This record gives sequence, structure tokens and C-alpha cells, in this order.
Amino acid sequence: MSNRKIVIDPITRIEGHLRIEVEIDEENIVREAWASGQLFRGIETIVKGRDPRDVGLIAQRICGVCTNVHYRASISAVEDAYGITIPRNAEIIRNLVTLSLFVQDHIVHYYHLHSLDFVDITSALNADCVKASEEAKEWCDHPYRNSPEHLQSIQEKLGSFVKAGRLGLFANGYWGHSAYKLTAEQNLVHMNHYLEALTLQRDLSKAVAIFAGKTPHPQNLVVGGVTSVADMLNPQRLNDFLFIIKEVREFIERAYIPDMMMIVDGYRESIDAGEGRASGNFMGCGGYRFGEGHVLFEKGVIRGHDFDHIEVFDESKITEEASRAWYENDAPLSPYEGETTPFYTDLNDDGTLKSEGKYTWVKAPRYDGAVMEVGPLARMIIGVAKKSPIIFPYMERFMRKTGMELINFSTTVGRNAARAVEAQICCDYLFDMMSDLIENIKYYDETTWTKYIFEELPTQAKGRGLFEVPRGVLGHFVRIEDSKVANYQAVVPTTWNASPKDAKNSRGAYEESLIGLKLSDPSAPLEVLRVIHSFDPCLACAVHVMDVSGMELSQYKIRGGCPI
Amino acid sequence: MRIVIVGGGIAAVYIANTLMEQAPASEIVIVSEEAHAPYDRIHLCKLVDDCKCIDSIELELHPKVQLELNQKISSIDPVGKRVFSSHAAFHYDKLIIATGSVPKSLFDISQIENAATFRSQKDSEKIAQGMVGKNVVIVGAGPIALELLDTLMRSDAPQSITLLVRKNYLYSEVISREALALIQGIFEADKRVRIQFNDQITDKEISGNSITKLITNQRDIENPFLIFGVGIDPNIPYARDVLECDKGILVDERMRTSDENIYCVGEAAQLRERGFIAGRVKECTIEADVAIANLLGDESKTFREEVSIDGLKVGSFLFADVSATDFNPKDPENETILITHGDRIDQYIVNHDRLKRFIGINTNIDLLALKKLIENDSAIDAAYLYSNRLMSEKGRLICSCEGVHEQELVEIIQENAVTSFAELKEYSKAGRTCGRCKQDICSIIMATPVDPQEAARLKSAREAAAKEAKLATVRARIEKYNRLHAKNQLSTENFEEAITSFEMNHEFNHWVSMITASMHLHPDFEEVVKEGVTQLNKIPIIWLELSDCSGNSEGFIKSAHPSVDDLILKYISLDYHELLMVASGDQSEMALDSIIANDAGKYLLIVEGAVPLGLDGKFLRIGAKGETGLELLRRVSANALAVMAVGSCAYDGGVVAAAPNPTGAVGVAEALGRADIVNLPGCPVNPINIVGTLLHYIMFDEFPKLDAKNRPEWAYGFRVHDNCERRGHYDADEFVLEWGDEGAKKGWCLFQMGCKGPYADLNCSLVKFNEGTSWPVQAGHGCFACGQGKIAFDSYANQRPLKEKPNE
Repeated sequence: MSNRKIVIDPITRIEGHLRIEVEIDEENIVREAWASGQLFRGIETIVKGRDPRDVGLIAQRICGVCTNVHYRASISAVEDAYGITIPRNAEIIRNLVTLSLFVQDHIVHYYHLHSLDFVDITSALNADCVKASEEAKEWCDHPYRNSPEHLQSIQEKLGSFVKAGRLGLFANGYWGHSAYKLTAEQNLVHMNHYLEALTLQRDLSKAVAIFAGKTPHPQNLVVGGVTSVADMLNPQRLNDFLFIIKEVREFIERAYIPDMMMIVDGYRESIDAGEGRASGNFMGCGGYRFGEGHVLFEKGVIRGHDFDHIEVFDESKITEEASRAWYENDAPLSPYEGETTPFYTDLNDDGTLKSEGKYTWVKAPRYDGAVMEVGPLARMIIGVAKKSPIIFPYMERFMRKTGMELINFSTTVGRNAARAVEAQICCDYLFDMMSDLIENIKYYDETTWTKYIFEELPTQAKGRGLFEVPRGVLGHFVRIEDSKVANYQAVVPTTWNASPKDAKNSRGAYEESLIGLKLSDPSAPLEVLRVIHSFDPCLACAVHVMDVSGMELSQYKIRGGCPI
Repeated sequence: MRIVIVGGGIAAVYIANTLMEQAPASEIVIVSEEAHAPYDRIHLCKLVDDCKCIDSIELELHPKVQLELNQKISSIDPVGKRVFSSHAAFHYDKLIIATGSVPKSLFDISQIENAATFRSQKDSEKIAQGMVGKNVVIVGAGPIALELLDTLMRSDAPQSITLLVRKNYLYSEVISREALALIQGIFEADKRVRIQFNDQITDKEISGNSITKLITNQRDIENPFLIFGVGIDPNIPYARDVLECDKGILVDERMRTSDENIYCVGEAAQLRERGFIAGRVKECTIEADVAIANLLGDESKTFREEVSIDGLKVGSFLFADVSATDFNPKDPENETILITHGDRIDQYIVNHDRLKRFIGINTNIDLLALKKLIENDSAIDAAYLYSNRLMSEKGRLICSCEGVHEQELVEIIQENAVTSFAELKEYSKAGRTCGRCKQDICSIIMATPVDPQEAARLKSAREAAAKEAKLATVRARIEKYNRLHAKNQLSTENFEEAITSFEMNHEFNHWVSMITASMHLHPDFEEVVKEGVTQLNKIPIIWLELSDCSGNSEGFIKSAHPSVDDLILKYISLDYHELLMVASGDQSEMALDSIIANDAGKYLLIVEGAVPLGLDGKFLRIGAKGETGLELLRRVSANALAVMAVGSCAYDGGVVAAAPNPTGAVGVAEALGRADIVNLPGCPVNPINIVGTLLHYIMFDEFPKLDAKNRPEWAYGFRVHDNCERRGHYDADEFVLEWGDEGAKKGWCLFQMGCKGPYADLNCSLVKFNEGTSWPVQAGHGCFACGQGKIAFDSYANQRPLKEKPNE
């Protein structure tokens, strides 16, 4: 057999435990790929049998990075089941927190988890600081912290560090790899913003904590509303929040977006080659109301890059199946019915995946039987395709300045560009949402909780919380019996993107996007990392969502498979 | 700790100086009623005859001791832990009373200008000025009266000096007739001096503020100046209301009074069991040592009376007194052996072959040998006492406190070219305990010639050697750090460059000062420390994520104390961390293997997440070889210097181990079967607690103090409830009863809404989250005790109060 197999595990700079295996031919082109989640915790099993009001605090522990969104989706699922509508103020506060996390997540993802796949810090040491400062002005009239002196100090900072012989977290990268395309000056401009972003993301955490108590793992939601009413009524808290968001807006406009344009320019070849393009199926559930009937994200489904044809999104078409995942029942099921028992078939003796059989803890979600890609790329493409008054102008501007077509975004580099534009949109519209909140309070609406008597609520119910979250579409599905959780399932964005193959052998988005990729050096598969990182994987999410029973079956009786 | 010492005498200074040595971090305050800084009362005589300035007898006091003068204490508030003077209050954590005693007088002399007691610098001045041309009358026969008499004799000012003695002896009832006659003869050789035995003042004539005539049993004395030397009473009127007192303040053998935070030493203290009240400086210092040891937590030290060596500080003859602690002057079994030779008298009092007391005049017996004889309770024979008459080879005993003889002192002076009392300090403690013999020692130093050039040479050699010794200590410490962080190949030059470009100079200098201080080095050594520190700015750290949600890492990279780039770039070298590192796959495995192999025993391991044991650990597999989480943890922890489990999952499985624990998850300690894992639970742990613990480790080479669950006490020694900002509302029964109600808008207590703060040991309410922005209680939700581990997720993570009440 002429094809060789490369195993990359752990994939670092992602949240969680992910493994990728790819098979390459003599020309180092990827012919087949397998994405595998290597951790199973069973959070959904843990929430079963509990009081539905208590699910939020446990379900949010599915992920420490997207923690707020799981918290919110699980609480919303219970509210949906009971038919509780939360007050407007509560919804706005939830939105302020979620959208701040969008911005923070996107900044951290790009600069700290991904940019070093494109930026060579050793090269930045050779940059001419005056030229670098000029270079930054090519992409923005007023670049963020851009004096030659400041750049010089950044360069010295990095230089001392490299000279000191210890690169710490920067150690052992693929420095000097031929796949790096930026000039020394461009690398320096990026590293400058890498360090600035460290401070900024801490400030964003503060903004989140103002209404959410803390982050990660906020604590401000209850079934029926939010608890942080005292913070909401404190003008100083509102002002602190706005002040941080203002500074972040500056950073996005004068650093993040220009840096992204620079990357698009530097890696034009990769874009033109369509590197990292998946099947072209995109799905979005839309959301985030504000103002007079506006909504931030549009919903819809696009298949095979056909941007002119948008299907109506119908959540009942979502199923999950496990023919290639380590669970017993292979058949596609609705999330409300998810009945799954671990069936671990192990790895090969040499530790590689059994590529012909089951190979992951991640199940395969499908929409109407098809693989879907979710996330900022999907949202931006659907937004442009539907001519969203919110999204279209931002995307149009970016496309005009970079010369990109919509199809170009469906690539490794394009995914990042879509994410940057989305960060800018979220950040700008946070101001509108804050203004909604102030309007409301001004007219003496201080309500933050919808009253209900738990004992009088139905004892049987089912509901879901469906949200666009930083990495894509998130759904929590709950079924309640005897006022206890009878079944619980979360279908998270990374489950969509990191999906394994299904019974028809159609690949998940990660896998599909790797096919045809040419590796310049198979012993240093930087190109593979770039592609996978561009999805912003969150494997802690992907593996914790399975509705399965645990090892200790004797201790726990599973109420599997009851349709509602 | 703030320690207040009441009293301004030798004991107070001794205590303050000793505390500064043993507990330099504490705040020490001396509150004295005197107007002058503490001085040596024993040398008050000097003030009378030489009219010396008081500075000459001032005591050396550590410069960091705070001194409050003119503050006469009027009362103590043991509940509020305060002492009051007429115009100030002083807070204390521990109080030490050393107010000594007040002299007795036979009638009120406060308004009389020609009568005085003899206790303070003020008294000395009054005597020196008032005795001119007067007929001085000293009432008393004890050491104070005799020493004063000896002093006044040397002055021309008094017209006459009468010693008025109520009984028929001087000094002590056991003194031999021969000795008495000898002493009386010596004193009365001065024609102005007259000792009247069996006499006392019966009446007096007063005109205005002045006594014009004293009438005694034996005669009238006109134009007198009266001095009482009749004894002392403990000076404790301010304490009688609040502390148990008899004659003095009652203390136990640890010098503790009836209040556990108050100690008492010296003449103000009376031992509860034996009724003993110290009189001699040596006894006071022993008491002070006991009090200090107990105050600082060493309860093994108790007060034991010692055989005393004492004497009279008189110029006209030598007088020595050695006394057993159980000597009873009234015991009919006492036998006296008297050996006289010219103006020398050796008086032994023996009881059943045991020496109980020795009083010698102009003797040269080895007093320390006698002391040992008494201490060992050895039988003696008269022959030994006779043979012992010979002059000891060591010469006369100069310092009875430290047992230093004249000849020994001369040798020390010559060998070390000592030219002043200050220089002597390094070689001998002579003259520094009670200070009584200080002047003698100065005379001996003056009388002992040393070669000044030799002295200078020795001096500089000594200083050089001392400095070298200290430097050697520092270098040894630096060496130790270098061995510990051997992987760090930084050169000094590069480090300085890095510090400069990080603009960290100020912070760095601050840090250096701190570490220098904690190494107990003189500030002069900061430069050396700096050189050393440049070699130890990094320590390899491996951060493993097991069955986790990345919440702790996420919190950590958001850490602001210190800022994260400082942490990554300067303080901490995170050599392996899946979430953050650039290297992937093969490269990251290599990085991990290389640390395990090359830095064995030197790297710190931080673990986040639970360890799934179900399915043979295969619920989590990491790396190309499909190693399970448990296998990886075992492999990496085996060579780690120390292991920290961060977050509730790593502590005991946390949410992953919540019922029904589908993956059989446990915490790190249980998975490894080790009891030495440092736990930092919390969901997620507050980054401040990780950073604080790491910095403590990096700076002090050890983890901070841990509690029974191996959690650092500084972070987990608090109950959330006790430090909660809403605690006042709990106490006032003001509760939120419904989400968003009026109470919620006002920030009332969330206990009724299921806040579990009363069940949580954590510092959230003190440090909050995200740079102090907020915390769950501030956000109106309440705490669910996430740091208590899996029990939090099974019993606390809800919005209902528990059935049972918390321990108040």
C-alpha cells in the first residue's frame, strides 16, 4: 500500500481532546481523514433524574470555554418545556453576556489559539520596526498601538525571550516552515497584537462578570430569568461594561480586521486553491433580537455552496446517529429520543484508530440526512445570501477591501475572516442592545424574573434551547417526567463539525475539509493544523454531549428510548 | 502581631530587643510613663554623684521598636484588647506587663521638697540637688540603702549622713556579726556617717513644703534631707480590676496572667504557686525569656528559679552573695562556718552538709564553683571550703550574670584587641545582662593595653571574615536554587536585558528586596541576591488536562495577578499545556518526554480534570499511542517535584464524578493513591489561588501551609458566609424571597434562595473573580459551594436551602 498514515494527537490549542488521522498518497496529498474525540464524561447521564431547575449548573460544566452558552441553552430548554417566557430585561442581559463571549472567544481563538499557524515569531525578530509600522498603515489608517518605538519594545521583549533560550509555550512550533508566508514586518505587527489581545481578553472577562458574576462558569441564570438585578440597576456597572466594549471595538477595528486583511493577502494562494473547503453545506438557526424587530443572525440552510438557494431551517430534521461512534444503536434518532449505550471497540494495538469501524466518542448529527458545517462562516454566508441588513454591509465592506468572493470564505483562511467580521458585528451591536436595556429601565420596567409556582407546572413536558453560539448551532433537548429530567441531550457545534463518518460513509466537516490538502512536509503537518484550527474546535463539548449510560449500569437504570 | 509592652525599664527593653530578634515581623510598642527613653536603673547612683547626663546610662533599644513616652497606663480593656493612658489607647494582640515596682515611703512625701525615694532618674536629680549642705537621713538597711550611702559618702555635698536602721543588722538578718562590724567600720570611717541601729523616725516638724526637723528614738536631726530606701511594692494599681492579683499580678509558670493574651514579668509579677517575686535583673530576664517563648508558641518553657549570685555595688569593699532558692533564714538547722582573714570574711551557711548561702566580703572565692555546688546539691566538707580560700586563677568574678572573671576578660580583650565596651559585644556577653558590672568592665578595658595597629588589623580581618561567611551562606542558597532549576540556562546578561525590555526593573527590585528580607539578610546583600535571582526566574511546569472542560486553564490564562504575559514570559515556564502550546502531535509529545526525562525531579505538575477509572481508563486516551489518562498521569507524576490538583474535578472527581458517576471518575490524589497532592478545588478554581500558590512555591521553595484536605490555608481557611458582603443582612434577617424582588434589588441575603455560602470553605468573598469584578453572590445568585467537590454537584447545586441548618 503506497498510502501513508499520519496521526496527530493531541491537537493542541483547542479545548478538549481531539485526534486527527489522515492518509496521504505519494505526492503528500490527503486522501482520507478521520477525526476522533478521545474523551467521554457523560454529563447528560448525570443530569438525568434531577430537578429540571438544577440542570443549568451541571450542564454548563460541559465546557469551560463555551460555559455560558450551555448554561443558557439548558435553562432555556427547561423554560421552553414549561412555556415560561422570560422578561425583556432578562433576555437583554443574557444577550449582553453571550455576545461579549462571542467577541472574547473569537479574539482568543484567532490570536492565541490559531494565529501562530500563520505567523512565524522567529521571523518577527528580524523585522525593521519603522517598516513594520509603515506596513501596518497599509491595512488601516490608524493602526492599534503602532509607533516604531512600541514595536521595537515588543520585538525586544520577544527577542530577550528567544535569546534567553526558553520559548515556553512558543517552543517547538514549526518555525521556519515553508508554509509561513508573511514578511518579517507583518509577523511583528501580528505579534504586537497577540500580546495586546492578552490584556484585552481579560477586560472582556470583566465585562462578562459584571452581569454574570464570574467567568468561566458564570452564575446568574435561573429558570425564569436572571439574578443580577442589582447590577442591572447600577449605572456604574452599565458604564463599566460599555467602557470595556468601546476599547474592544477600537481593537477590532484597528487591529483584528486589518490583521485579517493582511493574512488574506499573504495567504491568497491558499484561498485560491480552496484549502480547507468542506462540503459547502451550511446551517444556521438565527437569533438575538434587538431594537424594533431586528435580529442579529439569520436562519437557513445552504447546500453545496449554492448561495442562491436558501432552505428554511426546520429543527425537526436534526438527527444523530452512531454507526461509526462508540455507542450501540447505530440508527439516526431525534435528539429527544437519543438512546445510546457505550460500545467501546478500542484502538488498534499500535494505538491508531480502527478506521474501518467505530473510532470516536463523537456522534454524527445530520440535517435531513446531510452533513452540515456550522459556525461564523455559516452565519456570515447565510447572512449575505439572505441580504441581512446587519451582516451584509460588514461582509460587503470586507470583500470589497480584500477582493474576496463569497466562495473564498469557505476555506481555512476564509473561516477566520468570517469570524473576524462576526466579532466586529457582535461588538458593534452590543451598544444597541445596551441601549434597549436602558430604554426599558427608563420606563420603570425593572422585572428580571417571570414568576411561576414550580408545583403547579406540568409534571411531563419537553423543550429545547436552540442558539447560535461562537462555534455554531447549539441545541439542548430536555424531556421531563414526574417533574424530573427523564432524558437530556445536547447537540453542540463541534459535534456537527467534528462529526465522524455516517452509515453512508459521508465524512464530517473536519474530515471533508482535509481531503485533497497537500502537505509540504509530512513530518511537520502544519497545513492539517491550520485547517482543523480554523473551525475553532471545542472537543470538550463534542464528547460530553452523548446521551449514554455509564460504566456502572448496575447502579443506574436507564430509561432509554421513550418517544415523547 | 502587635505586641505592647507596658513599662520602661531594663525588662521592657530586654523583651523588645529579644522579640525583634525572634519575631522580626511583629510590631512592638513600648509604653512607658517616664519622660526619658529606657535607662539602666542600676546605675542611678552615677547620676547622683557624677551628675552625669542620663544618656550615659541609656539602654540600647532596637530602632524598629516604637516608643511611647509620658504614657502612664491607667487601665486595661482585655475584651477590646486595649490599654489606656490618660490621653491615649493602645491596641494589642499580646500585652506584656513589665511595670516593675514603686518604692515605699513611710509617709506621703509627694509635696515635700527635701524628701525622696530612690528609684528614678527624677529621684536622682532631686537627691543630687537637695542634699547640698543637709543632714542626709537614709531610712533602710537593704542593698538600695547601702549602695546609696556608699555613693553619697563620696560626695562633699552632704553635711552628714545618717543611716536609720529599724533592726540590728545591715543587708540581711543572717549576716555575721564580724561582717556587720567590718561594714559598719568601713562606712563610719567617714566622720560624717553614722549608722543608728534599732531606730526609727517617730515624728517630724514641717514648715511649708519642707521638713525642718526629724525626731527619732535616739535623737533629733535638724535641717534634714530624707531618703527612703525601705523597699518596693509591685507597680500594678491599673491592673487590679481586670487581672487576678495578690501582692503582684498572679502569673503561672509560663508568665501568663489570668487573661491569655496578657503576660507579666519582673517585679510586677507574682508566681501563683510559689508566691515568688523577682528582685534581681537576672531573674527578670529569665522570666522575660519564658514569656517570649510562650507568646511565640513554645509552651515547653517554664520559669525555674535559679541559684542567685548577687552583690553590693559599693566602692569601699567587695561584697558577694550566693543563695540557694530554698534558703530559709529561720531554719534552726542552719549552721554558719565563718573564715576570716584581715578585712576578708567568708561566711558559709550550711544545712545538713548542703551549702545554702554564702556571703563574702573582700573575698576572692570562685563564686561560680559555689553556685554549681548548690545547684548539684553536693555534700560539702569544711576542708574544701578552707582550701578554696585561695584566689581563683580566673581572678574575681566581674559579671555574675554571665559568669565572667577578670582574668578571662583580660584575655578576651588582649586576644581580640578590644578597645571599647561596644567591641566586646562580639566576644562576650559580660556586662550586658543586668548591666551592673558595665562600669567595671569599662575600667578593665581601659586598663588593659592593646596595640592599636594590631587592633585595627584584627578588626578589619574580623569584618572581612564576617562578610565572607555571610556571602558564603548566600551563595549556598543560590547554589541550591540553581540545582533546583538546573534547566534554566539564562545568563545574567540576558536576564538583565529581558528585565529592561519588559520594563520590569521596579517590580524586580521590589521582588529582590522581599526575597532578601525573607532570607534574613542585611540590605547590603541585595546585590548578591540579585545575581542569584537572575539564575532562577523559571521553573519547568507541566499542565495536564484530563477529564475536564478546560475551565481552569481558561481561568488561568485570564489571570491578572500578575498579568499573564508576565507569568508566561517571566515567572512561569509552561513547558507543556495542551490548550496553549503551539507544538502539536509529535512535537508536543516530544516536549513532554524531554521534560520528563531531562528535568526529572525538577518540574511541577499541575493537573486539571478528573481521572476516569471505568473502562480501564479508556474513557480518556491521549497521544498517538492511545495512552489512557491514568497511564499518562502516572507517568508524568512519577518524576514530578510536586503535583497540584486544580479545580474540583482534580480534587475528588467533581461534576464528572457526580451521581451516577458514569465513567468511574476520581480525583488525582485517589487515582495516584498519594497523600501529598496539593489541592486547589473550585469550579473553576480562582486563578488568584493558583498564581499565589505557585509564586509562594517559586519564591520560598515550598508550598504554603496546607489544611487537613491538603488545601492551602491562606485560600481555603475561610467560610464564604463569614466574609460575605451580604452577611449583615443575614444577621438582620433581611432575605431575598423571590428572584428580582425588592430585597434582590437592595442586595439582601440569598440564604433563603439556596445560597450555600455557609457550607463553603473558600476565599471567593474576599478576592472575587475576574480582577475583583464580581462573584456569584454579588450577581444575586448565591454560592453553591463548588469548591467542596462532587458533593456540591449532588447536594448543593440548586436554589433551595438545605434541610439542616449550617453550623453557626
